[in-house]
Amino acid sequence: MTKLWDFHGGVHPIQNKDQSNQLPINTMPLPKQLILPLSQHIGNQAKAIVAPGEYVLKGQLIASAQGFISANIHAPSSGFIDAIEERTLPHQSALTGECIVINTDGKDQWTKLHPVSNPETVSKQDLLHIIQAAGVTGMGGAGFPSVVKLQSKAKIHTLVINGAECEPYITSDDRLMREYADQIIAGISIAQLLLDQPRCLIGIEDNKPEAIIALNEALSSHTNDKASIEVCVIPTKYPSGGEKQLLEILTGLQVPHGGIPADIGIVCQNVGTVKAIYDAVVLGQPLITRITTVTGKAAKNAGNYEVLIGTQTGDLLDFAQVDMSKTSRLVMGGPMMGFTIQDTQTPLIKSSNCLLAAEDLELAPIADHHSCIRCGLCEVACPAQLLPQQLFWFAKAEEFEKAQDHNLSDCIECGACAWVCPSQIPLVQYYRFAKGRLKDLASEAHIAELSRVRFENREQRLIDEKLAKEEKRKNRATAAAAAQAAKRAANPSEQDPIAAALARVNAKKQEQEQEPKKQVDSAPKTHEQIYKELKTAAAITRTKLNKTNKALANAVAKDHELAQGLQTTVDELTIKAADAQGKLQAYEAKLGLDPEKEKALLTDVAKANALVRKLEKALATSLDPQEVETQLVIARVSQKTSANALAKHQTNLPSTLLPEQEQ
Amino acid sequence: MGLINLSSPHHHSLSQTSRLMALVLLATLPGLAAQSYFYGYGTLINLVWASFLALGFEALILYLRGRPIMPYLTDGSALVTAFLLALALPPFSPWWLTLVAVSFSIIFAKHLYGGLGSNPFNPAMVGYALCLISFPVAMTQWAGTEMTMTFGQQWQWFWLESVTGGIDAYTSATALDIMRHTKGLTLSEVASSNPQLALGLTASMWVNIAYLLGGLVLLGFKVFTWHAPVAMLASLGFCAGLFHMGEPDLYPSASQHLLTGATMLSAFFIVTDPVSGATSRKGKLVFGIGVGILVFIIRSYGSYPDAFAFAILLMNLSAPLIDTYTKPKAYGHQSKAPRSQGRP
Repeated sequence: MTKLWDFHGGVHPIQNKDQSNQLPINTMPLPKQLILPLSQHIGNQAKAIVAPGEYVLKGQLIASAQGFISANIHAPSSGFIDAIEERTLPHQSALTGECIVINTDGKDQWTKLHPVSNPETVSKQDLLHIIQAAGVTGMGGAGFPSVVKLQSKAKIHTLVINGAECEPYITSDDRLMREYADQIIAGISIAQLLLDQPRCLIGIEDNKPEAIIALNEALSSHTNDKASIEVCVIPTKYPSGGEKQLLEILTGLQVPHGGIPADIGIVCQNVGTVKAIYDAVVLGQPLITRITTVTGKAAKNAGNYEVLIGTQTGDLLDFAQVDMSKTSRLVMGGPMMGFTIQDTQTPLIKSSNCLLAAEDLELAPIADHHSCIRCGLCEVACPAQLLPQQLFWFAKAEEFEKAQDHNLSDCIECGACAWVCPSQIPLVQYYRFAKGRLKDLASEAHIAELSRVRFENREQRLIDEKLAKEEKRKNRATAAAAAQAAKRAANPSEQDPIAAALARVNAKKQEQEQEPKKQVDSAPKTHEQIYKELKTAAAITRTKLNKTNKALANAVAKDHELAQGLQTTVDELTIKAADAQGKLQAYEAKLGLDPEKEKALLTDVAKANALVRKLEKALATSLDPQEVETQLVIARVSQKTSANALAKHQTNLPSTLLPEQEQ
Repeated sequence: MGLINLSSPHHHSLSQTSRLMALVLLATLPGLAAQSYFYGYGTLINLVWASFLALGFEALILYLRGRPIMPYLTDGSALVTAFLLALALPPFSPWWLTLVAVSFSIIFAKHLYGGLGSNPFNPAMVGYALCLISFPVAMTQWAGTEMTMTFGQQWQWFWLESVTGGIDAYTSATALDIMRHTKGLTLSEVASSNPQLALGLTASMWVNIAYLLGGLVLLGFKVFTWHAPVAMLASLGFCAGLFHMGEPDLYPSASQHLLTGATMLSAFFIVTDPVSGATSRKGKLVFGIGVGILVFIIRSYGSYPDAFAFAILLMNLSAPLIDTYTKPKAYGHQSKAPRSQGRP
């Protein structure tokens, strides 16, 4: 007798198993239509390899696994593919997903099977291939592809077979163990073979004495000298059938946080799964049927049924004579962890172990919940050793990071906390909400991180491009300078153009500086002369400034050593230009000149002249001469007015300047 | 019938907060009986009055807060507060003293912090501490055991605070008070000079045993875990025993500490208050130990008749901190290395 350990917490709900475990497994007649979701397992969705209208045989592959963690799907009966379309999936939120719909033809004709009567004669690789090809997945609930667990790289010392079936009401594994004990033991032997003969512990709760006897009997006729198989009777306590809890009961080991059982040398399989492995290898049959419990007081013929995968829940409920008027809550799975479904077309899949059609008073009443008084009953009940009351406060306050700190992710959603809560708080719902939000936040953070990396990459790319451009430009400049130098070497008389320009500027500067001296001894000038001189001086300095500016820009661009000198010249010239302009304006003011107004008047005159000319031309060709003539008259008047205004302005000027003002 | 969508679990233990509270109320009955037997009708009158007030204030403030009245009124939490106050207040409490204590407990200590489940301090203890500070004379008029009032006298005292023959004939300092306020004398001298002490100690002992019984019933019904009360009693007993061993004439023995005053009432009915206590089991141990040590210190060196109100309030204050440092290790976080890698 192997020593047993205990796991923390747990609860003892009313079992209600005798509602459904009294009668042998009943095979359900062939339904008219089967709906097979392409994703019945954890991992990648399978890919349909048949087309609507195609005829398929029972057991024929209709959807193939995609990738390592995925599973094949086979036709559960012969018939025609009706459609491949979105249908309601067995899911809490009634999500839809791609399904293959088969209209059965009633012949139930098998495809050719390849049974292996003695698995020991076959290589491991071939066995794994057979199990993989048969689409075997975990039958206990999660639906993990079994073959992945069976080719564990880690050394496995213990194979744990889960026959605990701790959820109230469900009895499918109980009946399976009673009626298929030999097949289960044979399936275990195959699994042991694949895992290099570890010892095997079958965990069964003590509320299933018949199943325990049946398995022990099967064991007594079984001989395997390479590895032991032992039936371990464990105390009835929910959730002893949780994988992690069962491992702890049987081995005293805990799966490390974030790890898998293989990390501690253990592989765990459900009894239904090892039976499916047996079917796949010894009978050659893919996984196309399962045992499903129909129970609850609304079910007249409560019991266990062998159903084809893809059977609609409605068909099974009808067959079990469920009075749907008596139930308002149809649960797929058990009362502790199952989910409600609303659509009776929802198909049964590989992991559907129970349909619970309970009368309304049978299940928890829908009660208003009260305040949490932190009584701690939930903490005592929690098999994951969490602080459910704290997690509740955090989830409620949306402090998701704190919830994460309190190991929310280790919650297995078994519902023990909510079951004991005296304030009837739907704790698991809060945890699911918090987990969902954490998942959202993580994906948001991931997207933000990706964006950041992309942005930084782009910035770096731009900088790199700029540097490359700069590099190229420098190379070009060096090449040009080298060419220039070569040219100069070939023709020494030609000077550097910038130096030449600078020399010219300097020469002119000197010239200009000498100019005033020339004029010192000349006769006293008229206003007209002075004005003209000032105007010219201003214009000259402006032109010089512009030229030097250009030379400077050129020099700076070429990084020429003369740039500094040019800058000084520009500064000097700027001051001079401003000075000259200032002197000019001061003189204009002194003379009472108003060049701006005069300019405006001149423009008016020019405009009026132009308009008159235009209208004279138009008059010759116009279709409406009268209209044009009127405009012409108006234009001539304005021409005269502007001319008069200009004349008047000019007569006000000092007479000496008059000739100067002519354009 | 239409099918509804609900989240799991679909099953429930059908336990209810109101049932827990009712159990707590029932468990106080042995203590109540013992207290009434030794000290007269005062506690009973107080209990009825406090319950009436607590329900009234609870209903009023729920109404003012716009909360549903009946669901909260029937959860029994207000009654628990009323019972604890009535049991803790002296049997000679006049009507107004109870009124002050209950109103402050329900309105300020409980509802102004958000009502049931959100109060950081034990409401009954807040009300008790307020009265202890504000009305020290009324709070130390404890009933003597030699002469008890008739119901009529008690009733008269309750409303009018006067009684034929004067209150002094009926009051007596508690055993704890006698032991503390005669510091000049050794305990053996006190015992020989004051015949009241032995009587007081006996009465106090039986009352404490009665509360212990009630507490064990609650423990049996798993209303709370053993951690906080056992830790508290153990630490108080340990401190008392240690000092008594050193100076037997200055410090009362561990059994005297454990069986006088409000020790058992506090250990099983107040220290176990989940709302204001520490969360995890380890935390509850720390919480209990803290209360025990504080009680010993305040009883030995403080100037109040008993120490529980202050000790518990101080530990309520530290509960969030205790929670932070006593988070239990979750499944799979226990040990890094699997313990039996090599098993066959």
